[in-house]
Amino acid sequence: MTTATSSPARRRSDWFKENRNRFTTLAILVFLLLAAMSGVERDDWFSTIMQGLSVGAITFLVASGLSLIFGLMDVLNLAHGELFMLGAYVGWTVYTRFDTVVDILVPLLILSAPFTLLPLWRRLAAAIGSTPLGRRWAGLGLLAAGATTTFVSVTRFPLVIWDPGNFAMSPSNFSVQIDLGTLAPLPPDTFGWPAVIAILATLLGGSLLALGFNVLRSQIDERTVVTRKHLLGFGVLIVTAIVLLAVKEPLNEWVFGLSTTWRFFLAMVVSVAVGSAAGALIEVALIRPLYDRPIYQLMMTLGVGFILIELVREVWGRPEFTMSRPAAFNGTGPGCPGEGLGGFFSGCSTLEAFGSRLRVYNEGFVILAGIVVLIGVTLLLKRTRIGMIIRAGVQDPEMVEALGINVRRVFTMVFALGSGLAAFGGVLAAPSIGLGTGMGAVFLLSAIVALAIGGLTSFPGAAAGAVLVGLLQQIIIRYGQSGINLPFLDEPFKPSPTLVPAAAILLMIVVLLVLPAGLFGRSER
Amino acid sequence: MTTVRDGTTLQSSVRRWLHHRRGLLIATGLMVLFPFVVSLVVDGQGISAVFANDEGNARFLQGLAIEIFILALYALSYDLILGVTGLLSFGHAMFFAVGAYTFGIMLKTAELAWPTALLVVLAVAILQALLFGVVLPRVKGIAFALITLGIASMFWIVIQSSDLSDYAGAEIGLQGIPAPARFLDSTNERFVFYLITLAILVMVYMLYTRIADSPLGKVANAIRDNEDRALMLGFNTFWFKLVVLVIASITAALAGTIHTIHQPIVTPNVASLGYTVTALLVILIGGVGTISGAIVGAAVFRLLQYYLDRWFGGSSDLLIGAAYVLLVLYLPYGIVGTWRVKRLQIADGRKRLAALFRS
Repeated sequence: MTTATSSPARRRSDWFKENRNRFTTLAILVFLLLAAMSGVERDDWFSTIMQGLSVGAITFLVASGLSLIFGLMDVLNLAHGELFMLGAYVGWTVYTRFDTVVDILVPLLILSAPFTLLPLWRRLAAAIGSTPLGRRWAGLGLLAAGATTTFVSVTRFPLVIWDPGNFAMSPSNFSVQIDLGTLAPLPPDTFGWPAVIAILATLLGGSLLALGFNVLRSQIDERTVVTRKHLLGFGVLIVTAIVLLAVKEPLNEWVFGLSTTWRFFLAMVVSVAVGSAAGALIEVALIRPLYDRPIYQLMMTLGVGFILIELVREVWGRPEFTMSRPAAFNGTGPGCPGEGLGGFFSGCSTLEAFGSRLRVYNEGFVILAGIVVLIGVTLLLKRTRIGMIIRAGVQDPEMVEALGINVRRVFTMVFALGSGLAAFGGVLAAPSIGLGTGMGAVFLLSAIVALAIGGLTSFPGAAAGAVLVGLLQQIIIRYGQSGINLPFLDEPFKPSPTLVPAAAILLMIVVLLVLPAGLFGRSER
Repeated sequence: MTTVRDGTTLQSSVRRWLHHRRGLLIATGLMVLFPFVVSLVVDGQGISAVFANDEGNARFLQGLAIEIFILALYALSYDLILGVTGLLSFGHAMFFAVGAYTFGIMLKTAELAWPTALLVVLAVAILQALLFGVVLPRVKGIAFALITLGIASMFWIVIQSSDLSDYAGAEIGLQGIPAPARFLDSTNERFVFYLITLAILVMVYMLYTRIADSPLGKVANAIRDNEDRALMLGFNTFWFKLVVLVIASITAALAGTIHTIHQPIVTPNVASLGYTVTALLVILIGGVGTISGAIVGAAVFRLLQYYLDRWFGGSSDLLIGAAYVLLVLYLPYGIVGTWRVKRLQIADGRKRLAALFRS
């Protein structure tokens, strides 16, 4: 042997040595899963695994965004669970009460229209105040005036709203009605002010807000001009709002006549859009000023999460409620449950496969959606230019910036993408787990555990970790029903369902202690 | 006259100490007088009403003040970990809750006398700090935050599971804890308990400022600013971090113990992530790493919470969340921190103002 390093045998043993911890962890994991599986009845294996994959798919949707955001910009977004929750609530609203969405969309579009005329506000802002302190007070004053005007004028629009305190108008009652097929649009409200005045006042509010934000910005840029593109954006928003206002009633009739399956797809699209927009807004307005103070970013996301929970409580009420499954996954009657994989398309709510009974929505559609997202995001990361920039940014953001790429814009895009994925997870999870303000915290914890197991910055690691966490939780639930034989205990230990998340956390602690960088992560040097 | 050091007598060093601590002494004195003043001015009752434990604003405000003292103790311990040493722990609520639950269970189920129960709490507090300490050399930064979050979440899950409902009372919480002693009774002897809590807070505060100024505190600061450099200078940072964790754990457990005596019921909420966030919020308001900021922050936070709750009812949490976001954005050094930064400017301005009047 001339050179030790070139020998294949030596290289293999080196590789083995380097990855020793990884193998140990994997062996522990496999052993744990097998040990747990041995306690589950053989007939339940398939359904337990599928349920685990279903929970894993939803956890993955939360964890994937968390992983992308943390990998690229080192922000552990603790508001991610609340974005998941927001997605579920927005999805429910579009699915069940589409009329309220149209109502709120009109003032929102008008309000956002002035923001398209950015150059105008920048030029105006440059003329206001000369000292930094003066600019700050002027900006805050403008913002306060804008917020007041906006609040007063937006509440003058006809907003039909449900009332959690009154059962006939409560979200849970609407969920029952949509199941029975008796849901109808609410009676239309009227403008509190003449329509033109309300619209103009909202425009004024939006303008004041836009100006205020630009006064508070530290950079002064006088060279920008309003081009035709800006005016076009402004016009499109205003015209859309007015058209919506005009066709509101026929539109509502049409949507309420649609099958619930179509409405569910509409709900998915809208909640992903709202989630992405919320994420982008949070990043630009709140996270971006804090990039040089990482701990404060963490605290900021915590605060944002609390605010989102409280907002949801204010709007949708504290009581938990359910969301019905779309019609395509809710069939009963003759021919149900469907047989085998063909049963997936039979429209039945359950199907029989491999001796287990599965719910088509929970154990079929959700897993399918998770796989589609996994493939889609993987393709985005590996095959597109933006994916290449993201992957490079995960490794070294400064270098990417030095190469002339606007990393800040990529940050915002990734934050929006991650939030959109979380919102998608929320709307997917809502029909199976219902809606409550605690759902975000539960899935955030699972997602963090999944991320820590898989390696914080690794996207495949997030997927693997999420599946592991989902499987482990479901297996423990199933195993716990028959009782676990623990040493030093006479009777088999039957954990209550509330104890189940502890198993996943225990797994995380063990994995992190053996492999601080997780299964797929790189160790930080 | 005893000579303490060259040229300094005991008398003069006492005088210097009194001068150095004058702010603390005045504040303590005011807090001792506070119930009497409220009783006289607001309630229109006599001074004896305070000793007689009569109903009224004085008694109620003493209760609120005790809550502030508890929160301040808890936040002090978090400031030692986060502000002084720079360890981002998301499991701090567990330190508090372990103290609260252990003391309660020891009194109620094990029926121990309070000094013994207190010793058990001390032992458990040290043990859990060692548990957190085990992971210290392996993980740093975010991974440490996640592990501590994980350990604390497990504790939170276990404490509110129905499997332990005989001991910890599941989701409802631990209730029906007997008063440990005649003078440790917040309901019947509130003024005495108020004084005891105040004394504990003052002593812990003095201890903490002493720690922050000691070599231990300086090394902790060095770990916060640059751990690698501290290691290179020859400090075994692991032991310093472990000692800090043990001190903080004991303090937080002490706060939890007082909480158990003061409140009729210990809910699992005190073990949740939300309670860690409360500590974070308190030292954020007061100023991270400024020891005294924890006390200022606790007072501001609790009073704000109380009055917002009274004025706005259900939506007060929303306002607290908004206040939190605004604080992070616009007052990153907190009240005490900003005061320290601007103190020289303010003093300068005052001098110029005085000069203006003199001429």
